Parts: sequence; structure tokens; C-alpha cells
Amino acid sequence: MAVTRCTKMAYSSADEMVFGRAVNPVKAGLGLEIGAGYTTPEVNYAPRPEAGVSKEKLVKEYERITTDIMARMVQIGAPAVVLETEHVQQMSNNPDWGAEVAHAQKTIMEDYHDEYGIKCALRHTIGDIRESRDFLELRGDKYSVFMEAFEQCAENGADMLAVESMGGKEVFDYAILRNDMAGVLYGIGVLGSMDMEMIWQDIASIAKKNNVVASGDTDCAQANTAMFIAGGLLDKNLAHTLAIIARAVSAARSLVAYEAGAVGPGKDCGYENTICKAIAGVPISQEGKTSTCAHSDLMGNLTMQCCDLWSNESVEYHGEFGGTTVQCWAETLAYDCALMNVALQSGNEKILRDMFVASDMNRDAQGYVLAYNNAYRIGEAITRNGDDIYLRAKNAAIECINIIEEGAKKNLELSRFESKALSDAKAALESLTDDKEQFMSDCLTKYKQEIKVFKPENYGL
Amino acid sequence: MIEIDPSSILVRYNVKMEKEMTPEEAAEELYPKDSLIYPIAKAIFEGEEDDVVEGLQKAIDAGRDPISLINDALMVGMGVVSRLYDEGVIFLPNVMMSADAMLEGIEFVKEKAGKAPETKGKVVCHVAEGDVHDIGKNIVAALLRAAGYDVVDLGRDVPVDEVVAAVERENPLMLTGTALMTTTMYAFKEVNDKLLEKGYRIPFACGGGAVNQDFVSQYELGVYGEEAADAPKIADFIREHGDNIVKLREKFHKH
Repeated sequence: MAVTRCTKMAYSSADEMVFGRAVNPVKAGLGLEIGAGYTTPEVNYAPRPEAGVSKEKLVKEYERITTDIMARMVQIGAPAVVLETEHVQQMSNNPDWGAEVAHAQKTIMEDYHDEYGIKCALRHTIGDIRESRDFLELRGDKYSVFMEAFEQCAENGADMLAVESMGGKEVFDYAILRNDMAGVLYGIGVLGSMDMEMIWQDIASIAKKNNVVASGDTDCAQANTAMFIAGGLLDKNLAHTLAIIARAVSAARSLVAYEAGAVGPGKDCGYENTICKAIAGVPISQEGKTSTCAHSDLMGNLTMQCCDLWSNESVEYHGEFGGTTVQCWAETLAYDCALMNVALQSGNEKILRDMFVASDMNRDAQGYVLAYNNAYRIGEAITRNGDDIYLRAKNAAIECINIIEEGAKKNLELSRFESKALSDAKAALESLTDDKEQFMSDCLTKYKQEIKVFKPENYGL
Repeated sequence: MIEIDPSSILVRYNVKMEKEMTPEEAAEELYPKDSLIYPIAKAIFEGEEDDVVEGLQKAIDAGRDPISLINDALMVGMGVVSRLYDEGVIFLPNVMMSADAMLEGIEFVKEKAGKAPETKGKVVCHVAEGDVHDIGKNIVAALLRAAGYDVVDLGRDVPVDEVVAAVERENPLMLTGTALMTTTMYAFKEVNDKLLEKGYRIPFACGGGAVNQDFVSQYELGVYGEEAADAPKIADFIREHGDNIVKLREKFHKH
């Protein structure tokens, strides 16, 4: 598949963007059209720890999970649902495991679709297994197993293919713990984008061959790592102003999937997805207050602003008072979607969207930048130099800083620490060259020396 | 957009609670006054590796014993960093950069002295078998080293038998395990069982993404650490109060 860079916005203004509608809706699975005027719950889950000991146990666990979700959706009258299976490592390292799980899940979903007419689709997110114990091995022996996992899932029931790719993580992990903005830019914006360009052309070809959807990627491995390390308001592990710079840069990276053949919906944990939607017009999945079962964040309502699928990120399968965890969270998601769908039907979607945004926009710098009006600006900064993966990532970082500085003059309060980290980051970014080749060369020398697990050959360097 | 007064719906506690003093001012109050030690401690705080080495060289030239400079200068500087991190005055990246500078300083004095310094004790760190997510383990290892412990870092995706063999070989004060995923953290139970089989009863401090207190409490040697910063505190507690798992759980299990 060819790579077509995004150099313009899919939407002519930020205000056009709402939940449940995308410029380019995606048909998937059994009767579902994502981004075509309604939102749909996307339920995520993890098997219990002991379920991974054998293929049989694992398949059985996913059968229970799938049946529980479908049964609850029918019981409460939900018209549609998406299930996302994020592979545990056994399922991607042994593609036949993933295939068997996909087949088992899809069989159950087809039964429910046939009996009740419920619209549904199955997303399988392959684990990025391209690493050895000591290093990332992005182009090594595991690449063929990695692709085989996509292929077998596509052949055996998965309607949508996704991944949380790891490219650039070895540099990012080092850089983010040292407030090193050049390293963040290099890890996410450059190395991550280069790796995604390679894998997504192949994933898109597999999807096309099997008539399934190449959905999308997320910078979970990096931008979410930054968000989790940054933590809550009182945590002292990373300035939230730096976490959101990493996030802004990650949009330039996640966009590469759509440039290389993916069509959406973007993965739920990509908090950068509103930016990607603004640029590429693809439908997106999002998580927020409904993913507190997996982690905390500071924008629980805001992330609903432009979602097309609404997700709970991940929950371990076990019992609760109200049923199993997947049933409880599926129900919560479905009622959130019902409310958004009421807003869409009644013409109140922009009011509800803006209420979601007003709830969290000033809670933290991260929510402020990701509010759709500001996310759109980051998108414009990326497309301004859409052909240059380095420059567009740098643009995103600098526009992010501009947005926070403007916000700080309004209602966005920053601690002195956050302001200091922001101004240090600004100085560091402004001192960087605009020349991609120079930046690449400088970083290659520096990080080869400083990071022993960085292997340039992973990126063809 | 809807314009509202955000103070009616949320409180920015981090802004409200921020200390008056800047980190630099707070550190200045804690540095030792000795004119040879002060620049070393300050360079540690600032994470300036070259300045640390330069300060050490000056102190050695002035007749100070290289190995004693570890406790008298490097650890003093790192103590300032750890204290201000615990008090919420500085953030983790400052600690990481200071730890890098301290380790560089330790290597320098080891080279000068031609021998290795004594440490507070040995800790074996690993990421669970099947799990390659190691940023949490890297933070734990850095914080332990910063606190003066000798860390044996087994890396990530470490087979259970290799963890057990390392405990047999190194005889550590404690073992740490981190994991991001529910299916991989199950390996902790296997490590626990094999250690008990072989008669080792050392504290096994576990934490990370999907790991929670309920899970860690299920195996006999498990002590749950909610934050990476708990690791040196658990090690310090063991040094001061012994390795009784029940006592450790009383102290560190918060839920």
C-alpha cells in the first residue's frame, strides 16, 4: 500500500466535529457503520491471570466474556456493540491461539446477531511482540509471526485489526524520565512514525486481502506512559505540561496508520484521536470516565466530545455485585452512548459536546489541549508540514505550548512547577533545527551513545 | 464552547498546595557547608555529571579518601534529592538525572580507589516472565541505587527459574518484581512457590500496571508496592525492622 501524507484538514472548522459522526464512516462486522450518526459501546477486557496457562482455558475464558457481554446488551436493549480483544502475548506469539479466540468470539456474536439483529463487530488488537528480552527487534525474526497473527485473526473472525505499536519506545522511555524533549520528539515523532509506516502498509494489505477493516494504532506505549507517569494532580513524577507535549507529538505518529491505509476507528486509548479525526476524518474510539477500571485520567467527560465508539479501556474478567465486570462496564458504556445518541437525534449534540468539554477543559493542561477546538489547532500545525515527519511533530509540540500559554492567561491554572517545565521545554524545542536530516543525525549520535538498548537498525538506520 | 467559571466545578489542588519555596531554594538549605563537599552535593542535585566528577577530583586532590566521598558527598547530595522528592518539592525526572550523576560519581571514585564501596545491601529486580514493559522496573532500580542499594537488574521477561537462581546466587535483602499485564503477573506466584520450596523466605516486593494488593497478598512472600518510590522504603524498613512479611504488609499495604 502506498503512503499518502495528510497535508490538509478533513474538517473545515473545529465546530463541525461531534461525537457519532465522522467525515469517513466505516462499515464493519455485522451491520455496523461507525461514525455514521450514532455512537456505539466498545467493550474491552482482560482474562483472569490463570486463564493464560493453556489455549483451551484461554478460548473458554473469551467465550464466557463474549457471551456475557452480548447477553447483557440484549437484556438492556442496546442496538449495537463492539468487542475489542487486546491480545495477551500468548495469542500473538502463537497466531493459532489468537485465531481460535477470534473464531470462538465471532461465532457467539453471529448467533446473537442472527437471533436478535443486534449490530456488532469484533476488533482484535494484536500484541506488538517484536522484541527480545533485551532489545526491540522491530524488523527481526518475529516480524513474520507478528504479521501472521493479523492474517490468522482476519481469516478467522476479526472484523477490525489494530495494534499498539512500540516503535520509538526505547528512546522515549529514557527521554521522558529526563525531561528530554528532543528525545521525546525523536522517539515518538520520528522513530515511531518510521516504524508505523512500515507495519501499517503490511497490515492494510492483509486487511484488504481478507475484506476486513484496518482500523488504527495508538501511541499507548509512549504518550500513555507519559500520562500515567504524570498521574493525578498531586503526583510528583512528571509535569503534566510535558505529558501533553508528548501527547501532541503522538498525534503526528498515530496519523501515519491512516496515511498508510488504515481507515479507523482509531484505538480507544489514543487520547490523541480527536486530533487524528480532525485531520483524517476517520471515526475514533475513546475512553475516559468509563476506563477508571483500568486507570485514572483528568478528562473523564471531555474525551466523549468527538468519539464514535465509547470504551472502557480494559477490565479484568471477574464477578461483581451487578454481574461480571464486562457486563457492568458494557452496560455503563451503552447508557452513555444512548445519551449521546439522544443528543444526535434531537439536534443537541453540540450542546452536549460542549458540556463534556466544559467539565474538564480547565482541570489540567492535558484536557485543555485536547479540547476539540485546541485539538483542531494541533491538527493544523501537523498538516502545515504534513510531508515532513520531524517538522510536523515539532510543530505539534510548539503549538501545544502556545495553546497552554494562552490558556494560562484565561482559566487554566498552572502550578509554578508546570509553568517552569513548560518554559524549559519551549526553550529546548525552539533551539532545535528545522532540518530533519540534521536532527536525525544529531539524535542518532547522541542516543546511540546514551541508550544501550537503542538499535538503529530497527528503523533501517 | 461553553464559558463557565471552572472553580465552581473543580479544584486545582496542586496549584493551591504548592510550596512557597522553589526547589533550588529548598535544596540550598540542605546542602552541607563543607566547601569541598558543597559543590559535589549541588552538582548531584542539578544532575550535572561533569561537575560531580570535577568536584570529586578537587576533593581527592585536597586529600579526601575517594571511597569515603561516596557516603560523605555523593550520598549526601542524593539524600537532598530523595528528601525533596518525598516532600513533593521536586519530580521524578530530577531524581533520575541526579541518580545518573551519582552513579557516574561512584564509578569515578571506584576507579580512583581501585576498590568497590560497601552498599546498604543487595536487591534483585526483574520484570515478570512474558512481560517486556520495563519502565517501572527501571524507575525502581534507579530509586534503589539512589538510596544506596546494590541493584542486580535481571532485566525484563525473566524466566522464573532465572529469578530463583539469582536469589540463590546473590542472597539479596529483597526481590522486586514488576508487571504490566494480568496474565504475566501470574509468574510472581510461581517465583514465590519455588523460593519457598528451596527454603528462601525473602520479601518479594511487587507492583506495576495490573498488579494490585489483593493479588500480591495471595502468595506468602508478596509485599505490594503501590508506587515505585515504595521500593527503597521497603528496603530501608527491612534493614531497620527485619524481613517479617506480616510487618511489611502492615506497613505498606494501604488498602
